[in-house]
Amino acid sequence: MNSLSAKNPFLKTQMSFSGEKLAPYLFILPSMLFLGAILGFPILYSVVISFQKYNLETLISKNAQFVGFQNYVAVLSNPTFAVALTHSLIFTFFSILFQFTIGLGLAILLSKPFPLSNVMRGILLSGWQIPSVVTGTIFLWLFNLDYGLVNFLLTSMRIVNQPIAWFFQSNTAMVAVIIANIWLGIPFNVILLSAGIVGLPEDVYEAATVDGANGWQKFVYITVPLLRSTVGAVLMLGFIYTLRVFDIIWVMTKGGPGIGTEVLPTLAYRLSFINFNFGQSAAISVFMMVILLGAAVLYLKFTLSEEEL
Amino acid sequence: MIRQRIETYARLTLCIIAGVIYLMPLFWMVSTSLKPLDQIFQKPPVLFPSSPQLESYKSVLGLPSKEPALYINTFVYFKNSLLIASWTTLLALTLAIPAAYALSRFKFRGQTAFLLFLLVSQMLPSVLLVIPLFVLFRILGLYSTYSSVILADTALALPFAIIILRTSFLQIPDALEEAGWIDGGSRLQVLWYIILPLVRAGLVAAGVLSFLTAWGEFVFALSFLPKPEMQPVSLGIFQFIGMYKSNFDTMMAFSTLVAIPAVVALMFLQREFVSGLTTGSVK
Repeated sequence: MNSLSAKNPFLKTQMSFSGEKLAPYLFILPSMLFLGAILGFPILYSVVISFQKYNLETLISKNAQFVGFQNYVAVLSNPTFAVALTHSLIFTFFSILFQFTIGLGLAILLSKPFPLSNVMRGILLSGWQIPSVVTGTIFLWLFNLDYGLVNFLLTSMRIVNQPIAWFFQSNTAMVAVIIANIWLGIPFNVILLSAGIVGLPEDVYEAATVDGANGWQKFVYITVPLLRSTVGAVLMLGFIYTLRVFDIIWVMTKGGPGIGTEVLPTLAYRLSFINFNFGQSAAISVFMMVILLGAAVLYLKFTLSEEEL
Repeated sequence: MIRQRIETYARLTLCIIAGVIYLMPLFWMVSTSLKPLDQIFQKPPVLFPSSPQLESYKSVLGLPSKEPALYINTFVYFKNSLLIASWTTLLALTLAIPAAYALSRFKFRGQTAFLLFLLVSQMLPSVLLVIPLFVLFRILGLYSTYSSVILADTALALPFAIIILRTSFLQIPDALEEAGWIDGGSRLQVLWYIILPLVRAGLVAAGVLSFLTAWGEFVFALSFLPKPEMQPVSLGIFQFIGMYKSNFDTMMAFSTLVAIPAVVALMFLQREFVSGLTTGSVK
């Protein structure tokens, strides 16, 4: 059946000309429709909800009333929002600071092959795909008041006299969730920064060596400037991925004690699924979405200015 | 020469130190899961259990064990996760194969836009999607069904699956495909019989990553699956730490069992995962 068109190449090109133009769209159509329905539509829908009085009652009656900016006003004047925003910024800042610094150090260590370097890389990435619920549970145990490894190390090294009740005060609870999140994010930073370092031109370093530059000078004057776009991209992605962290905090503290580790995602979740105030929750979502969109645009600027996809 | 040697050993030493610190949480998880109860609460803590025991694992898997029986049937969580993750993998690959094929074999208007759309859709926080999806699924009658979680998980996994597969497709020379057409195969036949077998490694990587995404997913399951008998392992652990605050050996055995697929997959597919992530974001 197919041999007919193969024997007559003219026929084939004629017939498939318009088909060939349409073909790629037909191939991507299922994915487009799917992502549009499950990702695109919800995003737009949450914008709509953010302008509605949407609660348990409306969820059942499916008849929500438009209330203008009322949800936004309510959210912004709610003191918890300011607390959650501050926590989000603290959580994101310290997570990224350490993830990035440690990740960069490890990426530089792994940048030249040495015996076992592949094994080491495997080990340093081993936690990457572990579900964050598991990570949260492990750190909950590590930070346990009476029997946790962390308190044992701190007291036996005489850094503290008394075991710390990590999850009973907001400051220490925040430290615990940040440390868990740093651990979680290291592989990601190592991978992306390694890719950037491997892509650096070898000859520039050779020329610098000939000119008598030492390791530190090479790092400051060659590696740092050449890595700038990679660093920018990694930091922006890190920001996007850290600002949205929910699982690990919900598992370890549920935003507590009180609102001690409440961040924007946990607040949005609480408003929806515990207070059933979907409208205000959606308003927070939209607020976060705008910030994330800005970060995404910056990220794309960092990656696209250099080369095409 | 000597300088270089010193540098190599310095790198190795630093890496070993970093590796030991990094692995500590995972080591502690496995070590705790193997300890008899008295050693868990021992001070100073025991690094290696002197007489490792599997009682906690038996307890998690619902086998006869010396540990007091659990009130929750943990085995059901594994069954549910397997079901949800398998369907997610199947659905994600079915959608990703044609999309990745189009992105690697055609030049078309909107190609870059589609790739950007994929990149940005990876950045969407699931906690923001969960609120409108909850409302949507309730309206559609999908609330409290496996389908709701499978659909949402697939949306999380799909963009990355397309990006990984596109990279694999790009490595197959066009000539191979053209040869298939000359022999009279249609585009779809050539894709199915010639190209797909050649990108097996990419398919496995994309499939496994989709599987792991659904395996560990938490927010969607937490919000769409109220019935315990339908919940996946992520919620199982979450319920467990709520109910058994001090059963650390069983808690860690449960965590280890949930973590194993992720660690094993990473050992075998590290290169594919890493290439997918870097083409997707930095390069």
